[in-house]
Amino acid sequence: MSDATATLPEDPPLVQGDITLQKLDDDISAPYEAFPTKRWWIAFLLVQPLAIAFLVCFVYTIGAGIGTWGNNAPVGWGWAITNFVFWIGIGHAGTLISAILYLLRQKWRTGIARFAEAMTIFAVICALQFPLIHTGRPWLAAYWLLPLPNSNNIWVNFRSPLLWDVFAVSTYGLVSFLFWYTGLLPDLAIARDRAKHKVRKLVYGIMSLGWKGSNRAWSHYEKAYLLFAGLSTPLVLSVHSVVSFDFAVSVVPGWHTTIFPPYFVAGAIFSGFAMVATLIIIMRKYFKLQHVITNDHLDVMNRIVIATSLMVGYAYIIEIFIAWYGGVTFERYAFINRALGPYAWAYWLMVTCNVILPQLLWFKKIRSTVKYLYPIVILVNLGMWLERFVIIITSLTRDYLPSSWDDFAPSWVDIGLLVGSFGLFLTLLLLFCRFLPTVAMAETKAVLPGSQPSGGHHD
Amino acid sequence: MTFDDAKLRDRPEVTTRDDNPLPPEDNALTRRTAMKLFSVTALMGAVAGCTRKPERYIYSVVDRPEYQRPGTPLYYHSTWTDGLYPYGITVKCVDGRPIKIEGHEEHPLNLGKACAPMQAALVSLYDPERLKSPRSGKNDVTWEQADKRIVKALQAASSTVVVTRGLLGPSEQALAAQFLKAAPGAKHFVHEPAVDRERRAAWKAIYGADGELVPEFDKADVIVSIDCDFLGTDGDVVSNTRRFAATRRPEAGTFSRLYVAEGGMTVTGSSADHRLPMRPSEASALVAALAGGTAKEGWDAKVIAAMREDLAANRGKALVVAGPHLPAAVHAAVAKLNAELQAPLLWNAAPALLPANDPQEIRAALAAGADVAIFLGVNPVYDLPGADLAKVKLSIAHGLTANETLAACDIALPSAHNLESWNDTAPLAGMTTYCQPMIAPLFGGRQEADSLLAWTKALDESATDAEDFHDYVKARSGLEAKAWQAALRKGYTGSGSFAQAPAPKSLDATAPAAGAAGTMDVVLVADPFLGDGRWAGNPWLLETPEPVTQLVWDNAAMMGPAAAKALGVAKEDWVTITLGDATLDLPVLVKTGFQKDTILVHLGWGRTAGAGVGDRVGINAYPLSAAGHLLVGAKVKSAGKQKYHLVRTQRAHDQMDREIARSATAKEFAAHSDFAKHRRHHPPLDQIDQEVDYTKGHKWVLGIDLNQCTGCNACMVACQSENNIPTVGKDEVSLGRDMSWIRIDRYEKGDPENPEISQMPMLCQHCDNAPCETVCPVNATVHSPEGLNDQIYNRCVGTRYCANNCPYKVRRFNFFNYTKQAIDTPVEELAQNPHVTVRMRGVMEKCTFCVQRINAAKFERSNKGEKVEDGDVVTACQQACPADAIVFGDENIEGSKIAAARKADLAYHVLEELNVRPNVTYQARVRNLHPSLDDYTPGAAKKGGH
Repeated sequence: MSDATATLPEDPPLVQGDITLQKLDDDISAPYEAFPTKRWWIAFLLVQPLAIAFLVCFVYTIGAGIGTWGNNAPVGWGWAITNFVFWIGIGHAGTLISAILYLLRQKWRTGIARFAEAMTIFAVICALQFPLIHTGRPWLAAYWLLPLPNSNNIWVNFRSPLLWDVFAVSTYGLVSFLFWYTGLLPDLAIARDRAKHKVRKLVYGIMSLGWKGSNRAWSHYEKAYLLFAGLSTPLVLSVHSVVSFDFAVSVVPGWHTTIFPPYFVAGAIFSGFAMVATLIIIMRKYFKLQHVITNDHLDVMNRIVIATSLMVGYAYIIEIFIAWYGGVTFERYAFINRALGPYAWAYWLMVTCNVILPQLLWFKKIRSTVKYLYPIVILVNLGMWLERFVIIITSLTRDYLPSSWDDFAPSWVDIGLLVGSFGLFLTLLLLFCRFLPTVAMAETKAVLPGSQPSGGHHD
Repeated sequence: MTFDDAKLRDRPEVTTRDDNPLPPEDNALTRRTAMKLFSVTALMGAVAGCTRKPERYIYSVVDRPEYQRPGTPLYYHSTWTDGLYPYGITVKCVDGRPIKIEGHEEHPLNLGKACAPMQAALVSLYDPERLKSPRSGKNDVTWEQADKRIVKALQAASSTVVVTRGLLGPSEQALAAQFLKAAPGAKHFVHEPAVDRERRAAWKAIYGADGELVPEFDKADVIVSIDCDFLGTDGDVVSNTRRFAATRRPEAGTFSRLYVAEGGMTVTGSSADHRLPMRPSEASALVAALAGGTAKEGWDAKVIAAMREDLAANRGKALVVAGPHLPAAVHAAVAKLNAELQAPLLWNAAPALLPANDPQEIRAALAAGADVAIFLGVNPVYDLPGADLAKVKLSIAHGLTANETLAACDIALPSAHNLESWNDTAPLAGMTTYCQPMIAPLFGGRQEADSLLAWTKALDESATDAEDFHDYVKARSGLEAKAWQAALRKGYTGSGSFAQAPAPKSLDATAPAAGAAGTMDVVLVADPFLGDGRWAGNPWLLETPEPVTQLVWDNAAMMGPAAAKALGVAKEDWVTITLGDATLDLPVLVKTGFQKDTILVHLGWGRTAGAGVGDRVGINAYPLSAAGHLLVGAKVKSAGKQKYHLVRTQRAHDQMDREIARSATAKEFAAHSDFAKHRRHHPPLDQIDQEVDYTKGHKWVLGIDLNQCTGCNACMVACQSENNIPTVGKDEVSLGRDMSWIRIDRYEKGDPENPEISQMPMLCQHCDNAPCETVCPVNATVHSPEGLNDQIYNRCVGTRYCANNCPYKVRRFNFFNYTKQAIDTPVEELAQNPHVTVRMRGVMEKCTFCVQRINAAKFERSNKGEKVEDGDVVTACQQACPADAIVFGDENIEGSKIAAARKADLAYHVLEELNVRPNVTYQARVRNLHPSLDDYTPGAAKKGGH
């Protein structure tokens, strides 16, 4: 490890304990090679009611209409769009870790990259459910929002931020998937090579696309990975910027704000890292991978959490300042209403979770001790969901004409869809843990002691 | 192929769509294209499987009547006989079914204007609740069987009681007289439970004759209303509104001043320049104060002084009116005052609405044990507390639905609807209006007069030669075939006129004592939409918000914050109202503007049978009505029950200096007639998009004059009828999902007992820079070259982004398949306007400026090779508006009314600082304050003026 800037100042080993290449493969492959453990089954069965709840609410919504939700005349968008933005935000950490940190040569990413990327894809899958079912006629929206040629010569409206969303989110989802899959190839080959059963060998064999581990293959792989990293990096920034345009481009007081793109991206990374931390802490304990995903990883992730928390906090303050400074009565009222109106509880809970509590992460002990940091990252997740709730609900319930003001209350279907989307997400995640290597074996091997040329300091 | 309609227009023989040239036949069907077609069809089948297209059967006409062309509307003139005033109506019929009721433009009584119940009568025609067959006991019988039994009973009877409504035409009256002669011991009672029986009796005593005072509001410069809601619920509201609104044109220089002293908050009070909260039982003291006495403590002495000064200074042009529930002494004092003021009052010696009998007489006649009791179109079991049918040997009731009385009677007979009946009425001297059927009775109903005729003839064959009531009316009219046709086509004969009000003869009546402290005055008023309860089954009327409280699907004990505080109750708590033996529990509605000792309760709610969707909705307040309509000294206390849920369509009423509904005092208007344009200042508005030239072709624009609008909500029902807008029910309205395309916003400011009211109709503003259009991902809402904001229902996928981005929040979303019932119930389906798409669930909708009417006018003109002229297009809301507050037209037509309205000094746009460029122009309201009470000082205008 010659490049001092690339590693942490103290340069602790990225993988702890006395570990060999073989042991690493064994440890990481154990969960998907062994028959599912009792614990996996318990976890899987626990999340199934949630996933079924999602399915039920999904089908009910499509069958009966948006009336099953709490939406009303001023509040056209309710929890569905809140959930959409929330999940898209969650999906940011994965690509950030795999792409941007890769380009920045942050080697500590190797332990968590695979898991974070998988989380990204599942989060995007969850997110995509919401824009579809939130439309009044999803059976048409499913393809009318795509610029398909048709006999009526009706084109989509390229001025609509919702259309930009369609492009941004689908591109992001697709590229994230390809990036993730490319990264998976060497590991799938390891799984294939280790497989003892014929079917396993066949399936992993097909999935690994004939990976041989030759120099040529590695060379192409590295180039492709780099290219994908390069391609994904702007997408990390663009997708949430575009999502924020849904709000920023509108005329609704409290939405019509130029700060939204960077504010949303920062918020997305913030929530994404919090979610990665939330899940990975459980995951590494379940699969006994504490030596691969160490507390130092958590420490570094929490540094990003606190950095983005400050950005989000800055955005909160600047929004209020601009509302006052801009002098637009509607805008001023929108922010007074946020802080003091009927949803003030949500606003202040959001500020507490997103800005105040994360300040504790300045202490190294807190940010690298699971029992301290865990409540904080959980509350950041809550806070970031509330942020979208506050933006959408407070703005729509109190806009221009007081005559049209009305409050919003979620229905049981709204709640079912939110809770259920976690069921869907966790189901996908558990299946991933069951069938695919959760840590990038090939990449992690590269950060084991002695695996890299060490610039003349031969042992 | 392209379709050159300009060319086509020049061909005079082309008049119908049937003549459109067809594309040339294409026989080049190869195997390849066939395969393509098969696969496309299969795919479409799969896709179509997901959509909801109602299955239909289409009947084609074999022999088409010569005057009827499919899809082309026919219009008939008729008379609305279901209400209290026989307004002229024009009924639009398409393919044999009435689809819209509008005012008859030339009719002298209402001049084309409409009230909500008149327009909503269409729904009751297609009410699936209508009684389908005569019933004897519990069995369905034929008309012959029913008649036989009735006639037999009548022949044997020694006493017969006939109870009818008040609005009877001359033919009906003549027939009733013949019946009474033929049936031994028969007596006729007029039952109108919620109408001004007391005031009519008082007038009779004062003026020495039966009749009705007709105030000429249009000739008054000063109007003082003493608890009289002449714009909302009292009397000929449509004419009153028209007459009053005619005096509210500040720019034209005709500008009356309206003082309202009232206990509740009413539509009239909302239009007042000065409002004096007054306990209704203190009305005598107020008239005394106006006549020179001293003002009571607690009243604003300045307002009383201003009233007095104004009345004195405007002799001949000042008018005092008093509410129908007030005691005779008040009417006597008002008559004296009006006589001194030479007030512009007319007199209708023979109003169409007959004076009602004292309910006590009807009660006594029934309790005495009549042999036969016949109830024609009345519902005493519901609205006459103490009406007891137990001693009646044979009770017979005629009605549209199996209401409480039909359910309680031995024989229940289905009536024909107003639109299925022949009739005549005489609203004023020298004028007869006619009512003709548009459609055969839908469920085999028979109009009440036909029943009476059949029974009369069975009792006395020599009574008349008429086969049916049509012949009877025709014979009585004395008109020969051609003249009869002409009369029906015109809807009325003669022009009619009112007499001058006679001088009061007898003015001595002693005023009853005012209500004691600690008790409340409870005013019972017919609901502005459900009337006395006869329209309680009408979903349109149930869902039209009560104009002042905006309450839907309920009635309540309406009171002010001070009263609620004194009683220790909050909104939606229950109170018990006790007066003598009568007691009633009602939920509390707290509303600003109510005097602290007054409670207002609407009658007509709480029906229990035959009202369909209106059954068990609201509370029946008739049990309190035994003591009249003003209950003085009622004891009110908290009932301590669990809270009730009242649903109101508007939740926030403070416009927070946003200057949405703009107004100024007369003094300010005199100093700055364009004050409205300077109420909000903003940076220059830059246009980012390319400017569109709207000066060529049409440019459709709507104007609303806030000086005219009284907030009566007639436009809401007009719009609902024209545009197939579904009703959604109490629960959905409670969630904020009412579907109305036009609504009346109400803003209040200041003293909770006497707030300053601003009202404004709010509808799609058809912005030229529409925020909704840019955000729709599928281009389902786009701008037309004529300035319309078009909504394309079949393209809409329902993202609701447009609704979020609409600053006026006028877009309405079909959260459920609200129209399902209207489509699935064959009879309800008939009420839908075939020229407007019925929207399915998941689709956004909103005001279209009645685009179907615009296109109809354009086609009609273009078929004749003419240009569209001003006045060709009348939107449904504009047509109905009794105040003429709405103007619509093409701004590009020089000299058009709307072009003038757009350029008026008072003209402004709501939220103009957003640069959305609305095509709805409002004219700001001017409050004609008495100079001594106008504290406006030039230069001190808020928001800086210039």
